[in-house]
Parts: sequence; C-alpha cells; structure tokens
Amino acid sequence: MRAYLKHPFWQAVLLLVLAYLVIVFVIPVLPGSAMVPKSVVLQYMATVLVGILIWVSDDEARWTLFKEPLHEVLIQPRLKAVRTALLAVVTLMVGCLTYSQVKASVAAPPNLRSIHPAPPSQITFRGKTIALVGLENPLRRSGDMAAHLAEGRRIYYQNCVPCHGDHLDGQGHFASGFNPLPANFQDNGTIAQLTESFVFWRVAKGGPGLPREGTPWNSAMPAWEEFLTEDEIWSVVLFLYDQTGWKPRTWEVSAEGSK
Amino acid sequence: MIYPLLLLAVVATQDTSAGKQVYTKWCAGCHGVDGKGDGEGARHMIPPPRDFTGNALYQIRSTPSGQLPTDADLLRSIDEGLPGTAMPAWKTRLSDRQRRDVLAYIKTFSPYFADTTQRPQPVVFGSAPGGGSVADALRVGRQFYDSIGCRKCHGDLGRGDGPSAPTLKDDAGHPIFAADLHENWRFNGGGTAEDIYHRLRTGLDGTPMPSFSDLIEQKFLTDEQLWRVAQYVRSLSPKEPPAVRDVIHAPLVTKALPHAPDDSAWTSVDGYWFPLVGQVIRKERWFAPAVTGVWVKAVHTADSIALRVVWDDRSQSPDTAWLAHVGRVLNTLDSDDSTREQPAPWPDQLAVQFPVAIPSGMERPYFLMGSPGAPVYQWRWSSSSRTAAVAGLARGIDRFDPQAGSGPGVRVVYDHGQWRLTFTRALASADTASQLPFRTGRAIPVAFFAWDGSNGEHGTRMAISTWYFLALDEPVPARVFISPVLAMVLTLGLGMLVVWRAQQKTSYRRQQ
Ligand code: HEC
Ligand code: HEC
Ligand code: HEC
Repeated sequence: MRAYLKHPFWQAVLLLVLAYLVIVFVIPVLPGSAMVPKSVVLQYMATVLVGILIWVSDDEARWTLFKEPLHEVLIQPRLKAVRTALLAVVTLMVGCLTYSQVKASVAAPPNLRSIHPAPPSQITFRGKTIALVGLENPLRRSGDMAAHLAEGRRIYYQNCVPCHGDHLDGQGHFASGFNPLPANFQDNGTIAQLTESFVFWRVAKGGPGLPREGTPWNSAMPAWEEFLTEDEIWSVVLFLYDQTGWKPRTWEVSAEGSK
Repeated sequence: MIYPLLLLAVVATQDTSAGKQVYTKWCAGCHGVDGKGDGEGARHMIPPPRDFTGNALYQIRSTPSGQLPTDADLLRSIDEGLPGTAMPAWKTRLSDRQRRDVLAYIKTFSPYFADTTQRPQPVVFGSAPGGGSVADALRVGRQFYDSIGCRKCHGDLGRGDGPSAPTLKDDAGHPIFAADLHENWRFNGGGTAEDIYHRLRTGLDGTPMPSFSDLIEQKFLTDEQLWRVAQYVRSLSPKEPPAVRDVIHAPLVTKALPHAPDDSAWTSVDGYWFPLVGQVIRKERWFAPAVTGVWVKAVHTADSIALRVVWDDRSQSPDTAWLAHVGRVLNTLDSDDSTREQPAPWPDQLAVQFPVAIPSGMERPYFLMGSPGAPVYQWRWSSSSRTAAVAGLARGIDRFDPQAGSGPGVRVVYDHGQWRLTFTRALASADTASQLPFRTGRAIPVAFFAWDGSNGEHGTRMAISTWYFLALDEPVPARVFISPVLAMVLTLGLGMLVVWRAQQKTSYRRQQ
C-alpha cells in the first residue's frame, strides 16, 4: 500500500479520484452552491488532469517513474488480461461518444436575448410624449413619500406578485410557466443597474415594447400602460427600490447600484 | 374568561416588534396588516390568504382536528410554503431568526394562542407499516378509499371530480376544489405518503377535507388500513413531479396514424408535461386558472400528424351543477371589469398554437396569440361542439378569424375528470399563407391554452403557456450507426498498434 502511495502514477490516480469526489459530492453540499452540471465537471476534471501532468513531468525521475506502470501494461505478458480489458473499454467509450455526437436530434433554438437593450429616447404613453433621457422619478420630489410607497405596494401586490413574487425574486406562483423567467429584483443584475426612467419604460411598455434583440415575442412582461397611470407606474417603481433596498442608477454618476 | 385576557395582555406587551417588522414587510401584502387575510393582493388569488384572527383555523397541523397547530407546524408552513397556492416558501428568503419572530407575531392575531390551557398536543403518528406486497397494500388502500367516502369529493379515479365536488367551499365561503390526487406536487402539506397520512389523521381545518382519526377510534378501520389509503393516494401521482422539456419529439410511425386518444399506439410514445398558468397579461386577466397543465404526445406518418393533449378537468362543461361554484369564484376575485360578471354555463376549451410558417431565425409571433401584424395559426376545440375543431388565425388575444372547413380532425374522450383529445392533420397545407405546413426535422414553436368553463373561464380568462417546440423526427440515417463502428475499429487498431510497437521495442532492447 505504502509503495503504491509513493508512486507518482498512483498518486496521480488518487488525486483524480479525490478531485472527482470533491466536485461531484462535496461542492453541492456547501452552503450556497448547487449541483455541478456534467459539462462543467468535465471541464474541472480536464483542468485537474493538466495540472497533474505538469506536476509529474516537471521532474525527469518522476516522469520516468510515472510512465512505468503505463508501459508495463503495454508489454508485460502477465498483464495481458488488463491490457485487453483496457483496449475494449476505450474502444467502447469511443463508440458511445461518437454515437451521441452523430445522433442528430432537433433541439430548441438557442435563446439569445439581450436583457437590457438600449431604451428608446422617448415614448408615447397614453398619447403623451415622454422623453426618457435625463428623466427622474417625479414622485421623489413631490408629495408624501410614505403615501407613494403605500400606493406602490398596493399596485405591486395586485399586479406583479404572481410573476415577480412576494419576495421580488422573480419566483411568483405563476413564474414557472414563463420563459424568460420574470426578472429577479433582488439580484444585482436588474433594477440595481438601471435608471428609474429605464424601469419606467419597461413597466409601461412591457415585453411587446422591447426591441428585437430583447425577444419581445417571448416575454410575458405585460405592458402596464393598459392598466396603470403614469403616477401609478412611478409609485410601483419607488416600491421596487424601497422593498429591495437597491438605489437606482442616477444620470450624473453612472455608478453601480449599491445595497 | 379573565385568565385568558390577562395572558393576552402579557403576550401583547411581549416584544414582538421584530416579528411585526418582518410581517409588515413580507406577509401583510397578502395576509393583511391585521392578519385578517385581506392584504392588498388577497382578492387576486384562490385560495385566498389565511385569516390569522378569530378561530385560528390552520390546515397543516400535526394536532387533532379542531385544535391549534404547534409551533413546529407553523414553522413548516412558513419554511416550505403551501405548494399549489400563492403562499411562498420562506426558508431561503428569511433568516432563522426572522422566521421565528414572524411565527411568534402571527400567533398574536388570535386570542386562542394566548390561552396556555389549550396547549396543542400532536397526534402520535406511527411509522408506515411494513410487510406485504405493494400490490396488496394498494388494493387495501383502494378498498378503503371507496368505503370511507374519499370518492364523494375526490372522485372515482381521484381527479377531484366526485359528486360533491361542485358544492365544496371553505368555512369562509370561498370556492375550493377537492385536490386532484394525481398531482401530489401541489398538495398543500407535501406529497409523500407520510404527509398524506398526516393530513388524513388531522384533516385540513377550515376546508371540507375531514379528519379520519375518528374512524380509527370507532374501529371502522385500523391505523394500518389508513396508511394503505395514503399509500394508494401516493401511487396515483408520478414518482417525481414532471420535469418540463422544451421539445416534443414526434416519432415517425409506419403503421396507421392513431386517431383515437385511447389508441394503444400512444402507450409507446414519450409524453411531455407543460405547466399552464393564469393569463395575467392582458385585460380581462385571470388569476385563478383551474387547468394546471397539459400532457402532450405526438406522432407523424409520411403525410400526416397526430397530436394528443390530455388534461385534468373536474367538470364536463357546460354543466349547470357548477354555476354556484362559478359564482363563488367571481365573488372571491376582483376583476378588471367595472361590472361584475354573471355566472353562465361556459364550455371547456383548448387551443394549440403554431406560427403561420416555421421561423428560420429566432423571431416568432408574440406568444400570447400573436398580434395584428404577426398572426398565429391555431386549432381551437370547444366542448360545446365536441367532435369538431376549427383552425384559424389569431391576431391578438381578442381576435380570432376562423378558416371555414379547414379544421383539423379531432377525437375526444372525457373520462373521470380528464379530457383526452387528438388533433390530426395532413403535414402539407393547401393554403401555406394561413395554415402552417409541417416539416420534419425542424423545431416548430407550439403553445397551449385551456379554459375550464365550470370555473368561470371564457374569452381572455384562461390558462396559458409560453412557446415550446414540436419536432417531427426524421428516420435515423444509416451514418448514425456507421460512424461509431468506424470510430471503434480505428481506435482498436490504433491501440493494438501502440501495444505492438511497445512490445517490439522492448524485445529488441532485450535482444541487444
Ligand atoms: C405575467 C408575468 C409578469 C407580470 C404580472 C409582471 N411582470 Fe415584470 N417581467 C416579467 C418577465 C417574464 C420579465 C423578464 C422579461 C423581460 O425583461 O421582459 C419581466 C421584467 C420586468 C422588468 C425588467 C427588469 C430588467 O432588469 O430589465 C421590470 C422593471 C418589471 N418586470 C416590472 C414589473 C412590475 C412593476 C410589474 C407589476 C406592475 C410586473 N413587472 C408584472 C413578467 C411579469
Ligand atoms: C403571495 C401571498 C402570500 C404571502 C406574501 C404570504 N402568504 Fe401565507 N398564505 C398565503 C395563502 C394564499 C395561504 C392559504 C393557502 C390555502 O388556504 O391553502 C397562506 C397560508 C399561510 C399560513 C397557514 C398555513 C396553514 O396551515 O393553514 C401561514 C402560517 C402563513 N401563510 C404564513 C405566512 C407568513 C409568516 C408570511 C410572511 C413571511 C406569509 N404567509 C406570506 C399567501 C401568502
Ligand atoms: C367532503 C369532501 C372531501 C372528502 C370526503 C375527502 N376530501 Fe380530501 N380534500 C378535500 C378538499 C376540499 C381538499 C382541498 C383542501 C385545500 O386545497 O386546502 C382536499 C385535499 C386532500 C388532499 C391534499 C392535502 C394537501 O396537503 O393539500 C389529499 C391527499 C386528500 N384530500 C385525500 C383524501 C382522502 C384519501 C380522502 C378519503 C379518506 C379524502 N381526501 C376525503 C375534500 C374532501
């Protein structure tokens, strides 16, 4: 056993097995991680293998020692069974791999979608022209903030909850029926990156208002112009930021939103 | 009387302010600031949010019917949510501390929790009985399922279509469906045989679903037999909740096209599940869809296609027995109309949607029934003219132009709470401008829409899906089998060459 553990070939094998076990069984149980998908496992293992090869070939003596068992398998008469088995396994694996490659199967076309396409510079909202460039949320400067937020909250719960969810994380009870999934406002990749005028545009014009690169034909996001007034949309936008704690991106400093 | 009041005072002065904060921010939008189940969103969901005040009736308990839940029961509902309803799972969304605080806070809404003489005592649940064959267990379960009256509400095959189903309402008068026992992933209290057994022992208080513990006490059945009922119910649902796969593969069949939905040819074809959700995008929106999804299979021959759609529906609409239920549904929901609709016996409907032509790029018509500029091609079936379907172009959610005389063939069966329907059509189409010509080997966008008339659904009030794909598979070309064989021969040859070379070299070295 000892002798095996000191031998670079068996050390390399052991390392590979250990790495595999860690990637497949240990990583998923760490808090905040998920199952590693097969293709990623393959990538990780390839990286580990390259690392190991660099290490063994780094030293001339180690390299010779490393190659020894491989060479043995090739030539030793007493290892004939192992040799034959190895050849058979490799051959079969190549067969299976090729089969899965050439077996053409119709797949869903890739869904390439720009999440935040460039907004128009102005929109027509219920017949009124609204310039988006430089536009700020007017409710931040007028009236009672608490009342605006209460209004935004009402609008959110009556309209947005089935898709964007009570936790604003895009996991409402209807969310699983849609593709693309409803936006996750808790994530730092949505409203945290956007100006309020952008969010106003998205809420007002919804999925159908997206340019081509945003795949408007797929988005379930309603065009709220049909249901809500201008002020109602501004108040729900206020609520989104208040409830998640993100700050909207401002026009002067293009700094990222912060929590 | 004074004693509980005193306790109430003590509890009220206890510091539940942390819990109140969590509650106001995350729960009040549904359950209401005062816990009455009347938050801003409450009239946009069925079942409506729980009213925490008054009698404090909770569904998911480990305690006997009529008793309060334990803290562990409440924590479980908060952690896991109530699947099949709008109640979310909070385990990953709030910290341990926050969930405990909010639990303590929701208990302050009802005076019953303050009364410690009413300490809830959990039922002592045994574990599942072992022994016997699975078939025997299920047979016993089925026997008692019939004899203790489950079928009255849940129906003969468990799809929630029993004779009492149209009359069911919860204690507050809201409409309620007897659960579809084939969809255990939507059970409020969890879908394992153990969860089901617990619900059978404790009942779902506040709903018509009773507790069956008294039948055990009356020696009408044994604890073991009730376990068998739970195991039987579990066996009605698939092992795992169905996963959604994007592409329906329709194999090429050489025999005759299966026109009937119950044709035996369908059994060997792969089935695909697509969840449907409420149409909450365009006026008039629909927040309480009854059809939860469709199971789809498809096959094709050299010149025709058959598409089978199967979905659970408790009622064979139009059915006036369900009018009172429709009334309750309309009363429970706010609607986009200013005037309240009157219940009417609407039919059940199904629509299957395709683009007018198979798109070459990514672009396709709007998933929700197209638009005036980019219409979609649809097959529509209604239970009021069962054996005919129409084909036509939808140009938006409120505009459908039928094409006379070009409808697909349709055969339908209604069986114990389930519609099974096949559409058949020639692959080629006479009018390629308005009828999709089907082609093999392409990803053809497809979407589904369903209406349950006896739930008040008609027009824009329906259950919808997004775009998925249908692929008519081509016969497997010979190269699929030849290439792997070639690759294997090559590998083997190469391997043998390497071995041979290595051996040659060594023997050469040895000879020297
Ligand atoms: C029917 C489901 C649905 C409803 C209801 C809905 N949304 Fe959306 N929403 C989506 C989907 C899906 C997306 C992602 C696709 C997209 O960007 O169009 C989205 C995206 C968004 C975005 C864009 C986020 C970003 O990063 O670009 C905003 C903002 C938004 N929704 C706000 C709202 C508000 C506010 C409401 C309620 C008034 C609402 N949504 C209601 C489905 C919905
Ligand atoms: C999106 C709406 C919504 C939100 C937000 C929500 N709930 Fe609920 N909740 C519901 C609904 C709907 C039900 C009733 C389901 C039923 O009757 O089957 C419910 C039921 C419950 C129940 C009763 C379970 C039982 O055994 O009967 C508890 C406890 C509960 N919610 C706690 C909470 C807490 C705590 C929060 C906040 C952290 C919360 N809910 C947030 C919708 C919501
Ligand atoms: C009087 C009508 C009635 C009878 C009788 C009845 N049920 Fe139910 N059952 C219901 C209703 C209504 C619900 C839905 C409760 C809800 O959605 O909150 C339900 C729900 C269920 C659920 C889902 C529980 C969950 O966690 O959501 C199961 C499982 C179930 N019933 C099994 C049975 C079995 C087994 C029997 C016979 C032993 C039975 N029921 C008898 C009306 C009934």
